[in-house]
Amino acid sequence: MSFTLRSVKVPPNSVNLEEARSRVFDFFRSACRSIPSIIDIYNLDEVVTKSQLRSTIAAEIRKNCHVTNPKVIDMLLFKGMEELNNILEHAKQRHHMIGQYVVGHHGLVQDLDSKDQGLSDFLKNFYKSNYF
Amino acid sequence: MGLGLLASRAIRPFNSSSSSRLLLRTIVSKPELQSPESSAAAADACPEPDLPPRTPLAGARVHFPNPEDAIEVFVDGYPVKIPKGMTVLQACEVAGVDIPRFCYHSRLSIAGNCRMCLVEVEKSPKPVASCAMPALPGMKIKTDTPVAKKAREGVMEFLLMNHPLDCPICDQGGECDLQDQSMAFGSDRGRFTEMKRSVVDKNLGPLVKTVMTRCIQCTRCVRFASEVAGVQDLGMLGRGSGEEIGTYVEKLMTSELSGNVIDICPVGALTSKPFAFKARNWELKGTESIDVTDAVGSNIRIDSRGPEVMRILPRLNESLCTNQEFNKASDRLIKLGLRPNNIFLPETYPTALFYLELRLPALAFLEPSGPSILFISFFTCLSLFIPVIATSVDINEEWISDKTRFCYDGLKRQRLNDPMIRGADGRFKAVSWRDALAIVAEVAHQVKPEEIVGIAGKLSDAESMMALKDFLNKMGSNNIWCEGTGTQPNADLRSGYIMNTSINGLEKADVFLLVGTQPRVEAAMVNARIRKTVRANNAKVGYVGPETDFNYDCQHLGTGPNTLLEIAEGRHPFVSAISNAKNPVIIVGAGLFEREDKDAIFSVVETIAKKGNVVRPDWNGLNVLLLNAAQAAALDLGLVPESSNSIESAKFVYLMGADDLNLDKLPKDAFVVYQGHHGDHGVYRANVILPASAFSEKEGTYENTEGCSQQTLPAVPTVGDARDDWKIIRALSEVAGVRLPYDTVGGIRSRMRTVAPNLLHVDEREPATLGHSLKPEVTQKVNPAPFKSAVENFYMTDSITRASKIMAQCSATLRKK
Ligand code: SF4
Ligand code: FES
Repeated sequence: MSFTLRSVKVPPNSVNLEEARSRVFDFFRSACRSIPSIIDIYNLDEVVTKSQLRSTIAAEIRKNCHVTNPKVIDMLLFKGMEELNNILEHAKQRHHMIGQYVVGHHGLVQDLDSKDQGLSDFLKNFYKSNYF
Repeated sequence: MGLGLLASRAIRPFNSSSSSRLLLRTIVSKPELQSPESSAAAADACPEPDLPPRTPLAGARVHFPNPEDAIEVFVDGYPVKIPKGMTVLQACEVAGVDIPRFCYHSRLSIAGNCRMCLVEVEKSPKPVASCAMPALPGMKIKTDTPVAKKAREGVMEFLLMNHPLDCPICDQGGECDLQDQSMAFGSDRGRFTEMKRSVVDKNLGPLVKTVMTRCIQCTRCVRFASEVAGVQDLGMLGRGSGEEIGTYVEKLMTSELSGNVIDICPVGALTSKPFAFKARNWELKGTESIDVTDAVGSNIRIDSRGPEVMRILPRLNESLCTNQEFNKASDRLIKLGLRPNNIFLPETYPTALFYLELRLPALAFLEPSGPSILFISFFTCLSLFIPVIATSVDINEEWISDKTRFCYDGLKRQRLNDPMIRGADGRFKAVSWRDALAIVAEVAHQVKPEEIVGIAGKLSDAESMMALKDFLNKMGSNNIWCEGTGTQPNADLRSGYIMNTSINGLEKADVFLLVGTQPRVEAAMVNARIRKTVRANNAKVGYVGPETDFNYDCQHLGTGPNTLLEIAEGRHPFVSAISNAKNPVIIVGAGLFEREDKDAIFSVVETIAKKGNVVRPDWNGLNVLLLNAAQAAALDLGLVPESSNSIESAKFVYLMGADDLNLDKLPKDAFVVYQGHHGDHGVYRANVILPASAFSEKEGTYENTEGCSQQTLPAVPTVGDARDDWKIIRALSEVAGVRLPYDTVGGIRSRMRTVAPNLLHVDEREPATLGHSLKPEVTQKVNPAPFKSAVENFYMTDSITRASKIMAQCSATLRKK
């Protein structure tokens, strides 16, 4: 865990879903606020725009939209905070950022094609790798 | 013995019970062994405990051909019934007692020279070497007495006296019999202070590395060379401590089975040269698979580390079965059994696995002491059993040919790892799968259906051949075949292209007629069987074909079809040998498939078979020996070209790993797609390359020459951007708009079931049902041109072996010119 966070005390658990929800929004806002400095630190301006990064963050959060247990939400928030801190502390390198948040989890070589629409799952998987 | 040692012995306090005679020969190191005789007497005094029945070792099973021949012996007090003629060591094995051994090997003759297998037999004055001693009725064998232990310890001490202690730099370390047995039976201290002897290393060629100082003179290698491999290269020189294993004069070991001496050498004296210092055996992951370099389908184990194949070894099927009766044994587990309350009920896999999943956490609570205890308690109370497949396939015994064993470095060279398209300048450019498939599909649609041709290569698995055939059929073409089967193969009668006698069945034969085949280079394991038969029953061998070198006694009858005609018409002296034989065998080489007059030759062979009574209801001795791994499955799946000159008019050629094809007649403007794993001959003419996985990287079904289907398993991941063969064709079919209806291996296998159900009966030999008599009359004339040899270079026959450096070295140094 990063050292700035170490000084901050871990906040107490959210009592209900409502509190957890507002914390998520707080986190989203603070993450959005740090986007300009992230772009600055990692020289991302030539590969990505602020709004793209914003939607990536939103998408990462929405991945867990089905979670209703406040404890779990707190845990996920904690992890998100940790990640954000690592990024701001330059604990990552540029290619990590590009790989994880700019290109996405599908890898760098994915050749997306508009023709992919009608394809069967088999063919989509086939283009990705031999193992499915 | 050093003086200091003697002195230390002299001042050691002695057990008061030891007699003065023992006092003089205190050569034991463990106190309890100091007076074995007296403590043996003490052991005898106490009553025999009720011994629980033991399970035979390594699944050893006895099969009584004749119930009267059974005798009973007692091993450590436990009675076992064994057939007459078994040795004491085998009796112990049946009783579940493992006897340490070095020189004894179940597939070689008995030498009895290492003395490690000493056991005590009641009423015999001295311990006996159990491997050489026949078991007699009522014999009382004791394997665990102080006398036996002391004997083993002594033998071990003598063996280690001249054995270098270089285990840390020895390739055998970790799988060494001497290492294991000295841990189990050796003394806990050494008394040796003198110099060890050293022996000059011998040069046995590019495959076998020798460190002869490590040799313990068990002579397994000598016996293997002269009995199985049929070369008299190795022998024992000198006497006493000057004894050495060697080749008399400086000479390489030129046998196609020489690699097996690496496996049978119990110590690190003979190890693999290409594998030397590459890996330790405990780092390796073993995958049981099938060899594809010839049509025998030898059972192999691929040892890999990470993404690399490190070595290939034969699989020891014997660990599961010792005789043919195994599959028929009544006590085999064939269904899942679940015991909810006291009786076993047959169950399905999902239920059983669900039950396991349910029970395991509960048991973990019950047994806080850890997983090992958990499993012991779980299985002793046995609530569930799951049957596993025990193979009774005994194709290659436990030997494999050098090509099988050492071709693996070819899997790392010359690999194709990206889809590529040949540009206008004639150079290949790497592209994405999407682009490559789009181009292939587009071209395939531009040509007429009858101009499309597909050829499966030697190493293709049945799944991909099925997919290729379905794909081309959907494109409207039926011009598809497997290389090596010729233009008009006879795929209708299964008995016309498989080995009907079966490889095991060859051992019953007493006369062999080999027609246009050289089993020694075409199928080394089949040749080893023929040699075994020749040695065991004095079988007679005659061959028609180019003069070659066999490693057993044989008669060269002639070089061409004329000799065959003479035999068929009864004008040849060999006719009497065939007609007098009880179980005659005719083996026709698949090299003849390429001849124009093959139908005529086959009908001549059938005439010989009919006259010699070779095919009877109880014996089918008419065999075809195929050349490559894909052939039998290809013919089963009906990969037969529609017209014999389709290559000349082809515009779109799909080569699925086909490299040994003559493409000279192909029109210049034809579009060639090469799907395969090696940049070999086929690539030179290709316009598009689709990289595929090799046999070590995929799961595929192969049928061997005797009609036994077996499966390979992936041992290592695929290279680069390669894909499994059938997946490429399935993907291509979708891009081309003729989507094949299967998405999984299971799906393609059920499609295969409708065409050739025998391909799904894995590890079972499916004999052909119909006889030869249903064939139509042949009108062809026999061409008197002599037979040619089908395999020019034993070491390099396919794309993998041609890419292998070791195989190149072998063909440079070992091949008989
Ligand atoms: S080389 Fe190996 S197999 Fe041959 S005699 Fe020596 S120890 Fe035995
Ligand atoms: S195994 Fe019996 S003497 Fe060697």
